[in-house]
Amino acid sequence: MSRIGHIVRFLRERSGWEDLQSLANKKRVPIHSATHFYYLGGMALFLFMVQIVTGILLSLYYKPSPDQAFESVEAIVTEVSFGWLVRSAHCWSANLLIGVLFLHLLTTYLMRAYRRPRELTWLTGVLLLGLFMAFGFSGYLLPWNELAFFATRVGTAIVSKVPGIGHDLLLLARGGDDVTGDTLARFYSLHVVVLPMLTFALLGSHLFFVQKHGMSVPDLVEANRKIKPRCPSMPFVPHFLLRDMVGWYLALALLAALAALFPWELGKKLTDPFASAPEGMSPEWYFLFMFQTLKILPGNIALPWPIGDVEGEVVGVLFFGACGFVILLTPFFDRGRKSRWILNGLAGIAVAFFIVMTVWGWFSQADQTVLRIALGSLLATIVLFLLVPSTKPNTTARRMLYGVLTLTTCAFLLAVSQGLIAR
Amino acid sequence: MVEVPPDESRRVWLLRSLKGAISATVIAVLYPVACFLRPRRATVAGAMEVVAPFTVNKLPGAADNPFDFGGKPCLVVLAPSGLRRLKSGEPLRSGDVRAFNALCTHVDCTVEYRPDQADIFCNCHGGVYDLNGKNISGPPPRPLETYKVDLRGDPDNPGKQEIIVSRKT
Repeated sequence: MSRIGHIVRFLRERSGWEDLQSLANKKRVPIHSATHFYYLGGMALFLFMVQIVTGILLSLYYKPSPDQAFESVEAIVTEVSFGWLVRSAHCWSANLLIGVLFLHLLTTYLMRAYRRPRELTWLTGVLLLGLFMAFGFSGYLLPWNELAFFATRVGTAIVSKVPGIGHDLLLLARGGDDVTGDTLARFYSLHVVVLPMLTFALLGSHLFFVQKHGMSVPDLVEANRKIKPRCPSMPFVPHFLLRDMVGWYLALALLAALAALFPWELGKKLTDPFASAPEGMSPEWYFLFMFQTLKILPGNIALPWPIGDVEGEVVGVLFFGACGFVILLTPFFDRGRKSRWILNGLAGIAVAFFIVMTVWGWFSQADQTVLRIALGSLLATIVLFLLVPSTKPNTTARRMLYGVLTLTTCAFLLAVSQGLIAR
Repeated sequence: MVEVPPDESRRVWLLRSLKGAISATVIAVLYPVACFLRPRRATVAGAMEVVAPFTVNKLPGAADNPFDFGGKPCLVVLAPSGLRRLKSGEPLRSGDVRAFNALCTHVDCTVEYRPDQADIFCNCHGGVYDLNGKNISGPPPRPLETYKVDLRGDPDNPGKQEIIVSRKT
């Protein structure tokens, strides 16, 4: 036996490689009309890995202090070779990751993959989505530019609206009465230490549960199984994994194109924290629906006795808190066919609300119209594409879907070509 | 020669192009990362010339010695002949004031000028250099890197002269 063969055998005998291999060989992925939904989780995992790598790279040059934060990010994008690309990839893949996670959540709901015994998988998944949104929020402050400063001040002020403990939460989040250098240090520590550790723990258990229970088969497919005795399936290694990797490859291509063609802006240096907020203040797109809702809520809302007048913001915060709670506990609300009507109705309203509010907030900002149209139509295309399996072939619904899909694809291509020409 | 059936040759070609595409992607990812890891220019390439933050008469006990020269500590010392000429008010000659890269050649600790012992000493591992920068005792394997020294100002008033340190070209 060759020397390398010896080393391989040495490692195999001691690492339990065989157990892992037999585990991987056992795993199968069901094949049905919605199989492609299964790729979303793997794609999120891939984008998270991109986040880790680019994040570590950025931390090599970033300095978390109010005097140096902006300058260090500026140095990353101007002095360090390919620094602009690494930062741009970090920002873009963060946004793509949140987008993929939203779709992952939605499709998992549609397939009812949270049913017994997969409640914990759903729970850890929803918590992970919350963690990634916290990643986005804490990362937004780090360049210490005007927009980040004011967005963080607004975002943390919303926390203070929680009845009872609001002010304490505010102090905990900001590390003081206002957003200062201490806030920056807190957010940095949160972004690079606390959240990653929590994410690894939750992600580990999420993947363990997925592995333990296997892929869920949608109940509609399961119902049809009475006619066809077995749901066909393919082995995870290598059939599904290779398809998964094609998805990663596409995600990488999209990420590279976005990062190279639309480099992330640096913003304006925060010179005076006491100056008035600049125009065009807005959070990242995945917070826009909350931002827009809070914007249109009146200052005071009259609720029936015994509550009386309540601040609009408080209502908004409690409403979104309750929504999060309902999403988190969905597996326990699902008690069979009757409750599903209610749940589906709520889910439909929630998705419609999210889309309407996001689009409203999105287009009420005047700048970068082309980029907004490109991303909006891309999102619409993806959502519509995911809806295709839920319609039957050769029906009006399917044909209409294809028609709208063509329109959104054209809009996307047009916007991208417009953006390229403008460059 | 073994003949390859047509469909198999197609498969070989496909596999090869797949491997090629994957390798190209890996390189396309690793190349920017490697470039990113290389320190940026501002912290590597130093200045070619610097004026010492003290005049000759502040030597040998100048407080700001060693000082920053293009990102590295620079140590200026007064040779015994220089000390004698300075005391008698004679014009200084070349070699009376010397400048070194203050990084010890052992493991990059910053060395110290000891005028009373007339040597250069490294506190980290006890390395000793003479005032020519030559390693004379302890672990240092090589002499200190020397810089070129020019004096600017009235040669008849040597104490007020400025010390200009530059890299040898």
